Amino acid sequence: MLAQEPYGKVRSSGSLQGSRARPLLHRDFIGAGGVLLIAAFGTDYMYYTTALWQWANFSAWLITAGLIVTLVAVFLLLLDFAAGRAGRLNTGSFILVFAAALLSLVNAFVHSRDAWSSVVPQGILLSAVSTILLVIAGTRGWNLAMSRTTGDRP
Amino acid sequence: MITTCLRSVAALISLVAIAACSSKAGDPARQYGPDPYLPEPHAYLMPPMRVPEAVDWKAGEMPTASAGLKVEALATGLEHPRTLYTLPNGDVLVVESNGPGTEPFRPKDFIAGKVKARAGAGAKGGNRITLLREAGDGRPELRTVFIDHLYSPYGIVLVGDTLYVANTDAILAFNYVPGETRITSPGVKLTNLPAGPIDHHWTKSMTASADGSKLYVGVGSNSNITENGMAVEEGRAAIYEVDRLTGAKRIFASGTRNPTGVAFEPQTHQLFAVVNERDEIGPDLVPDYLTSIRPGGFYGWPYSYWGNHVDVRVHPERPDLVAQAIKPDYGLSSHVAPLSLLFSDGQQLSPAFANGAFISEHGSWDRSPLNGYQVIFVPFVNGLPVGKPIPVVTGFLGKDNETVHGRPVGLALDRSGSLLVADDVGNTVWRVSAMQSGT
Repeated sequence: MLAQEPYGKVRSSGSLQGSRARPLLHRDFIGAGGVLLIAAFGTDYMYYTTALWQWANFSAWLITAGLIVTLVAVFLLLLDFAAGRAGRLNTGSFILVFAAALLSLVNAFVHSRDAWSSVVPQGILLSAVSTILLVIAGTRGWNLAMSRTTGDRP
Repeated sequence: MITTCLRSVAALISLVAIAACSSKAGDPARQYGPDPYLPEPHAYLMPPMRVPEAVDWKAGEMPTASAGLKVEALATGLEHPRTLYTLPNGDVLVVESNGPGTEPFRPKDFIAGKVKARAGAGAKGGNRITLLREAGDGRPELRTVFIDHLYSPYGIVLVGDTLYVANTDAILAFNYVPGETRITSPGVKLTNLPAGPIDHHWTKSMTASADGSKLYVGVGSNSNITENGMAVEEGRAAIYEVDRLTGAKRIFASGTRNPTGVAFEPQTHQLFAVVNERDEIGPDLVPDYLTSIRPGGFYGWPYSYWGNHVDVRVHPERPDLVAQAIKPDYGLSSHVAPLSLLFSDGQQLSPAFANGAFISEHGSWDRSPLNGYQVIFVPFVNGLPVGKPIPVVTGFLGKDNETVHGRPVGLALDRSGSLLVADDVGNTVWRVSAMQSGT
């Protein structure tokens, strides 16, 4: 019944009727973008150990795709607020994802370099830090705002 | 572990520093000659890019030639003319060509492709050779499609009654009858040349030895600096020697990133090449160069530049090869993109150009201010380049350097000794001749 539960806290109004939260649109997109950016750390590591160019190529595309999906998620987050689905901003998760996205944007430029310097050392370092931030955000449930239960509606 | 962490922190701090600094290009004159100034290499988040916008020549507009010379259009409306070649009867061949378009696409190419297209680099090539027959007044009295349906052709040379054309993937041999204006028979393949997959530097420059027994072919690298992997660089960034009769070939010299022009010095019969060096480590790195080519010589690419300056973008490193890398003879300054090398033939154009080489500079895209976009002359003494280059044809750029009307590529001397310049943005062949010569 409480579909949101595995992903994070559902703010309950306490009453039995109307306690079901409407699903947040942005959450799955944050998750998908985060997974792409985390995967780039994996391909960066493979390039670091093999020096085979295709891994660096994967990384460049994974970071680009991760950033695009995250951008879509930001629009959906705004939509969640506008539609009254989202309640309070989940500040901790928001800062984690925001920082990871910012580092990944820099990383997209680092990965636009040619050959070894596109990954080692700065590229893989940025991927590693982004991955740590995103894993923490993931354990917190990927949602950047609390769900607003229908009972909460002012 | 602690050192690794410290190194990581240092690397991230340096990244911020790079983002903050913007490197300005220096005076190109510091990079002319045998000992060019070489600054420290940079790793950029966004390398400097500056490309003027291609704007057609208006009626009556043309490049400017140095004192005592005049310029006129010999032919206009061509399809991306690249190489020029004068046949013994005076007919001029114009190779109209561009890359085969088989390169991979990475996120950065969204931007890089748009930038380069701005200056007309993306225009479609004719994949054919046009013949121009000059009348006395400098106007062509005849213009025909000489050979059609080629595949990104570039190099061209006549030996005896055989005309060799270097497509990007093979050398073709055509039987040539003096005076004919169209060859319809398909060429016979002499030998394959390294082309796809990718074919990043696609041009195959070509010349023949004085006795006509061997052809020499410049084959460019398949990337800027191995970003497409080492496997696709097999047999590339090299100058090949091809036996004209059997088609047997061997690598004559290697480590030449993109040898876009090859020619023999007429006095010493020494092979020279102009080579386009690597990008994206600074506006003044690495100088493109003119050099004599030693048999078996290694000129650094990809592992090092200008002798033993290591390029850290290449992994794994090869200190053994870096130790062998030959320093080029003569720096032309950075990113000028030399595309054609033509030794002068006596004093017909001007006594100043009696002994030396004309070099066309297609012009820079990753440097500000712009560099190149001109035809220069490098004087030779005793078979070696000496002194400063002399600008011969300039004025391809608009006055504000924001627009470009033409970019010089192929060079040839016509029968009267005038200098012909192919312009692949203006789609014109320009004829530069002495003002007082009655020709």
